[in-house]
Amino acid sequence: MRESHLKILQYITATGIFFLVGLHLIVSHLSSGEPTDWTSVAQRATSAGWLAAYILILLFGIYHGMHGIRGLILELSLPNRAVKIMNWTILFIGIAVFGYAVYIPIQAF
Amino acid sequence: MEAASKEKVPLPNRLGIKGWAWAGRYKIERYLYTLHRLTGFGLLAYVALHLVANGSRLWGQGSWESTMNFLSNPGFKVGEYLVMVAFIIHALNGGRLMLQHLGFTLGKPKPPVYPYVDSMRRRRPLVWVLLALITALAIYVLVEFVISGD
Repeated sequence: MRESHLKILQYITATGIFFLVGLHLIVSHLSSGEPTDWTSVAQRATSAGWLAAYILILLFGIYHGMHGIRGLILELSLPNRAVKIMNWTILFIGIAVFGYAVYIPIQAF
Repeated sequence: MEAASKEKVPLPNRLGIKGWAWAGRYKIERYLYTLHRLTGFGLLAYVALHLVANGSRLWGQGSWESTMNFLSNPGFKVGEYLVMVAFIIHALNGGRLMLQHLGFTLGKPKPPVYPYVDSMRRRRPLVWVLLALITALAIYVLVEFVISGD
């Protein structure tokens, strides 16, 4: 994938995170009631809408974070072989974190 | 394509991470660049903690409630506020960067007439608006959700 496409994806995920995390903050934490109560958590866990929102937040957030870290590492002027290893490592870590993180809401659903 | 990428030799990054903080007369945009990175790291650290805390749900209600009790101490409350401020800074500055990278805030081209004004200075008002918004939102969050205790 070309670098410019990866950058455009960075912008798209940033916009997605902004709206989805905003929604998550407003509904889960800033509204009335106690969002971290077990009953409240268990009730949200049964909602398909929230499950979809959590999966999208995870997808967007993990891509955005991993691509951001990759950009910082690339600035260190690594040789091509090290860049390839770093790309695969970041992809592997991203997929592993997504697998763990997405299991939590799916298991609760 | 493969051969071309093998020939690429990256330019040396002589300043390294030190260059984030100082390499001469940095302008305010350069410090926003450093702040963007620091807030990004902070948000990543928070997401990692958030995922670990959410994972406690897998072991049932008792595990979840003991994790929430642990996280309700004042130190974590201060941390939550810093996370919200980091989110505000990262989101608003990210929006500014997106607008600039995509060319929306460059303005119309001007002839080079003395005294010259570079594109960075022409975009400076956007930076002041951004900083004012960040300050206002940080104060709002502090008053509304931290001091009022909601």
